[in-house]
Amino acid sequence: MSISREQITQALRAVFDPELGMSVVDLGLIYGMEIEAGRVSITMTLTAQGCPLHESLVEWVRRAISKVPGVEDVGVAVTFDPPWTPDRIVRDPSREISSAGS
Amino acid sequence: MSLPARPRPASGPSPLVPLGYLVCASAAFLVASLGVAWLGPELAGHYYHPRLLALAHTVTLGWVTLAIMGASYQLIPIVLERPIWSERLARWQLAILAVAVTGMVAHFHLGTWPGLMAAAGLLAVGIALHLWNVGMSLRGFTQWTFTARLIVLAYGGLALTTLFGLALVVNRVWPFLPGEFFPTLHAHVQLALLGWVAPMILAVAARVYPMFFLAPAPRRVHSFLQLCGLAAGVPAVVLGLLGVPGLLVAGALAVAAAAGAHAAWMCEMAWGRKRPGLDWGLRFVLTATAFLAPAAVLGVAMAADRLAGPRVGLAYAVVTLGGWISLTIVGMMLKIVPFLVWYRAYSPRAGREPVPTLAQLSWPRAEGLAYLLLTGGVVLLAATVLVGEAAWIRAAGAVLALGALAFAAALARVLGHLHAGAQQWPPHSPDLQSPRERPPHTRTLVDVGARDA
Repeated sequence: MSISREQITQALRAVFDPELGMSVVDLGLIYGMEIEAGRVSITMTLTAQGCPLHESLVEWVRRAISKVPGVEDVGVAVTFDPPWTPDRIVRDPSREISSAGS
Repeated sequence: MSLPARPRPASGPSPLVPLGYLVCASAAFLVASLGVAWLGPELAGHYYHPRLLALAHTVTLGWVTLAIMGASYQLIPIVLERPIWSERLARWQLAILAVAVTGMVAHFHLGTWPGLMAAAGLLAVGIALHLWNVGMSLRGFTQWTFTARLIVLAYGGLALTTLFGLALVVNRVWPFLPGEFFPTLHAHVQLALLGWVAPMILAVAARVYPMFFLAPAPRRVHSFLQLCGLAAGVPAVVLGLLGVPGLLVAGALAVAAAAGAHAAWMCEMAWGRKRPGLDWGLRFVLTATAFLAPAAVLGVAMAADRLAGPRVGLAYAVVTLGGWISLTIVGMMLKIVPFLVWYRAYSPRAGREPVPTLAQLSWPRAEGLAYLLLTGGVVLLAATVLVGEAAWIRAAGAVLALGALAFAAALARVLGHLHAGAQQWPPHSPDLQSPRERPPHTRTLVDVGARDA
């Protein structure tokens, strides 16, 4: 079963920052996405280094993607290069997530 | 359903550690606001009165210092990216400080100096333990950012404020201090306000406000002015009060420049923010910043001898301590407490089942009422202490007390989720929708479908 980027993006839209009430996609925290057979690799960031939700957000992203039919394995890498800035907030929900890096 | 072990924020202590401090601080805030209403006649007189000293220390130690220390155990791992050295020490320290502050306030109220000396000694032990814990947490720290420098400056200010306070109380029993009493007392007060609390607020603001407002961090010019203004201004003000009068005005102007740079950045951030709506916590923080203007004007005018006397001194204390500092802490607590409670109660279940967002833990009506009453109460109190009319001061105190009650009710509602968190969320709605099918204000941090749930 092939996995589409839209499916993964939709799944990630359900992962919210509880303080801001915005999804990790709309916050611009997802820097990159790679799909290879049943494996999905996500490169993401956090709003700040030392974010108290560091481990939780990564786990929620992993769980969200695991739910997508056909996904067998999920890898989530956190990077702070480049650091997140508010300019990354996505106003247009149709904006694509890049396939690699930011 | 078995839940995973209780989580803790990355590198941070259990949420119960900062929550313990913040709950004690809120209780002190409520007591202090009731005290303002009760002590109307005393507030209409000279500020050097045993009951007013008790009130002042309920605010500065019970409310402000406990709130900052509690928040620092939550925020230091975030802003300095260092784990807290000893969580157990932090718990012991709270017990020591709670006893010491209660003892100090009681002995000030009664005017018993030997008892006050013992309580102040215990307080010094509690503060020394906090400094030790923070110092050990920062061992090997090398990233001396603007925030890190201000935090170190603040802890230096806390140590000096404590030493000055101890010297003043010991001097009451065994006189040994040279010079006049009031300049030393004023130096102690300014060290507390400008040397301890102000740099800590500016430090935390620089790292945390951009996350809340979704706005850029302070520009270099703002950071430079804030850091240098306080680093140069506070010693100059203290030395100016203690016997080098030429430094007093220059010091006051430097501190005012730091306040101006902070206010300018706050305005810039408020206008340029990407966060669409402001919750009550952020409104408190922005409104608090507006009190920096009258505080700076009064401070500089007193330093330049343009204004003088106990009435002006009290008005300065009200706009600084009640306006800028207290309203900032109230605003920050309305952000931090829901996060800590949410993390404790709902984080283990996020991703497995529906859980609320932080906004859904809050009680906006109570927060809005607290905002109106506390901001209005501070303005009224500043005006009435300036006039010196006891009945009006009491009325202002009553407004403040009602505001503090509304604030306490808002916090109590959030804290109730520590128990309610064991129940299903939302409490009576088993028919759960996807988040995008609901309007944003009712959205929950929903189950994202863990296969391992």
